[in-house]
Amino acid sequence: MIKHKLSYRKQKIFSGVAVFVFFLLILALRAFSTDYIETVDDPAFEKRIRPAVVFYHDDHNDRAGIDDCSVCHHVYENGIKTADMSVGMACSDCHMSGPAAAPDLIRVYHLQCRGCHLSEQAGPVTCGGCHKK
Amino acid sequence: MTKSLPTDLAVIPDKGVDGAAARLTPERVARVIQILLAEEGGARLKVYTETCVHCGLCSEACHFYLSNDKDPRFAPAAKVKQTLDPMIRKNGRVSVDFMKKACEIAFTECNLCRRCVMYCPFGIDISYLMLFVRRICHRLGMVPQYIQDTAHSHSATLNQMWVKEDEWIDTLQWQEDEARDEIPDLRIPLEKQGADVMYSVIGPEPKFRAQLIYQAAVIMHAAGVDWTMPATPGWDNSDMCMYTGDSEMMARLKKVHFETAMRLKTKRIVMGECGHAFRSVYDVGNRHLGWKMPPLPMVHAIEFYYELFRDGKLSLAKKYDVPLTLHDPCNVVRGRGLHEMARFVIHKTCTTFIEMHPNREHNYCCGAGGGVINCGPPYAKKRVEGNRVKADQLAAAKAKGARVIIAPCHNCHGGLEDIVKYYELDMEIKFLGDIIYECIEKGEVDS
Amino acid sequence: MMHELYGFLRGPMLWVALLVFFGGSGYRVAAMWRLARKKDAVIFNYSSGYYALRSIFHWLLPFGSRNMRNHPVMTVVAFVFHICLFLVPLFLSAHIILIKESWNVSWPWLPDHAADAMTWMVVAGCGFFAARRIIQPDVRYLTSTSDYLILAAIAVPFVSGTWAFHQWPAFPAATLVHMASAEILLMIIPFTRLSHMLFFPFTRGYMGSEFGAVRKARDW
Repeated sequence: MIKHKLSYRKQKIFSGVAVFVFFLLILALRAFSTDYIETVDDPAFEKRIRPAVVFYHDDHNDRAGIDDCSVCHHVYENGIKTADMSVGMACSDCHMSGPAAAPDLIRVYHLQCRGCHLSEQAGPVTCGGCHKK
Repeated sequence: MTKSLPTDLAVIPDKGVDGAAARLTPERVARVIQILLAEEGGARLKVYTETCVHCGLCSEACHFYLSNDKDPRFAPAAKVKQTLDPMIRKNGRVSVDFMKKACEIAFTECNLCRRCVMYCPFGIDISYLMLFVRRICHRLGMVPQYIQDTAHSHSATLNQMWVKEDEWIDTLQWQEDEARDEIPDLRIPLEKQGADVMYSVIGPEPKFRAQLIYQAAVIMHAAGVDWTMPATPGWDNSDMCMYTGDSEMMARLKKVHFETAMRLKTKRIVMGECGHAFRSVYDVGNRHLGWKMPPLPMVHAIEFYYELFRDGKLSLAKKYDVPLTLHDPCNVVRGRGLHEMARFVIHKTCTTFIEMHPNREHNYCCGAGGGVINCGPPYAKKRVEGNRVKADQLAAAKAKGARVIIAPCHNCHGGLEDIVKYYELDMEIKFLGDIIYECIEKGEVDS
Repeated sequence: MMHELYGFLRGPMLWVALLVFFGGSGYRVAAMWRLARKKDAVIFNYSSGYYALRSIFHWLLPFGSRNMRNHPVMTVVAFVFHICLFLVPLFLSAHIILIKESWNVSWPWLPDHAADAMTWMVVAGCGFFAARRIIQPDVRYLTSTSDYLILAAIAVPFVSGTWAFHQWPAFPAATLVHMASAEILLMIIPFTRLSHMLFFPFTRGYMGSEFGAVRKARDW
């Protein structure tokens, strides 16, 4: 048990270092890249009540093994998901049109992100897990 | 805890309580408590004991607590904690010694004045809970001897003071004779059918304070009231059984009292200046008989005097000019809201009135009511020392000039007399009737 | 582990908690009502809507009763404590968003900094009540262990909630503690002295009726 814990601690240190290196890499990459996505910063939200969600688009998808853009950038027709994708559109184009308001958009973001995290048993689920200060 | 246990359990010796304790077994105690909790303990008992959040906001409502240097054991909620709470928690399995202490607390450390009810945010009725404890004590036969004696008198004679029927009639005729020296055409009408008013008094009036009947007769005469008094048992409106937990006997007493009035076909009952009797007739006894309100109108002397002055039935020969203050009795003020009427009468008849503070519904208890004074000499010192706050309140009124205290209640009278004497306040205590008698035009006066 | 616990606390456990809270509250009041019908018919016979409400009004109004004026500090703390205790959980943005996710209904929420301040008032209130239980002799005499446990049961969900909000160390764990402790709090309300929340209108209303309709006197 204790041994396991120690090795766990080591693991943690290791992963900490890895994360640090990773950050450095990203910073380096940022210098060369202008369209690297690292937050979900939807302009549809006029007034923020939480920090924007930290979200490294490509790393997330690499680690989650998501190749099909339509998994997230979905298109629904008559309530049925199609194979089409909505890359290039803002979420709010659909989810905040008509009478829908900010809570509606927040809702679908949460359902999409946390819903997947819960069903895949991976990724943050608590408020602070995504809305990092 | 263990250290303080002996003093906690120290009880004042009392023949009635100790005698019962000698006869009782823990099994019997448990059985009686279980029966009462099951048969008579309903939603009120449950909600009151389970809702109390132990906030202590009731503490300062209690004169016993304030007067005993804020000893936590005298806080109203603490009295429940020391009596009912363990009985309920242990389902009645408490010791005989525990019951002795519980008996002393419920009978002599709570006047059932309901002041704390007005200070509890939830309106938890501590007096109801203490009466529940007394009811348990009654069913265990564990009641302080002096008050139990009055309860015995009630059950044997239907009056509180072992007054025999002929003695009662004799007393009324004696008072009539005396009064006729002053007012030749005065009568105390006995057994008159269909009078407007049946006047009822408490047992101690014919026994010790017969002049009060004299005064009442003079007031009735001067106001031209069509009144009568019964010659049969039922004349006594007092009720110590209400306070000993003997609900059955209480109901019997009230039944006789109401039926006497109905037999005489009176339009209503007017009762003398007594508080507990009023509570018994107006609020408690009638309920045990299944009457939501008394079956015929009944008014307390304060209200009756108020009506007489309001309707101009009495005229004054003079005004009472000694500065005085008023003690608001719990049972007719918290129990019937008569405080403004009492002030109306005082303003009519007196020149200088000084309020004591707090007053009206918030007045401090006299310390005697709720049957506490009736528990007799063994507890007298504790009772008087347990109401120092009343002495302070009276002293403050005295400092403003008050020399007389009006106490329109027999128990308050007795309690205040003890307090005035013990704390050397040198104030005089009077009934409203005393003042009215002294000030009114009495009609034909034989010179 | 995190996901399973979160899923459990957010899903089945929340349902259990809500069921126990609402069902338990309903049961307690209904059972008491039945018992009162059987044993305390007096309550119904003497109940008066007007006088019950008159008394409740005076006791819900800050400084509306003499005893509240006698204890100004206690009155202020008690009112602030109870108001915040109700408002924060019902009008916290994060809670409303969660409800929005589940049931697609929402209502206006409090600014987060206000809710945070109010949370600390609840916690401070718990501290005040605990201190009062320790320091004031009459309250200490009345206090039993369960009274402290109840205060803790209220403080824990509020402290852990604000912990999660501020993302202090180990906040994901604090979030789970928050959810679990709040569910426990909900479930114990009907079955502990916290049930004063359910019975207040009844006890106060009954006493108001007796004092007002029968005894023609005030009870505040």
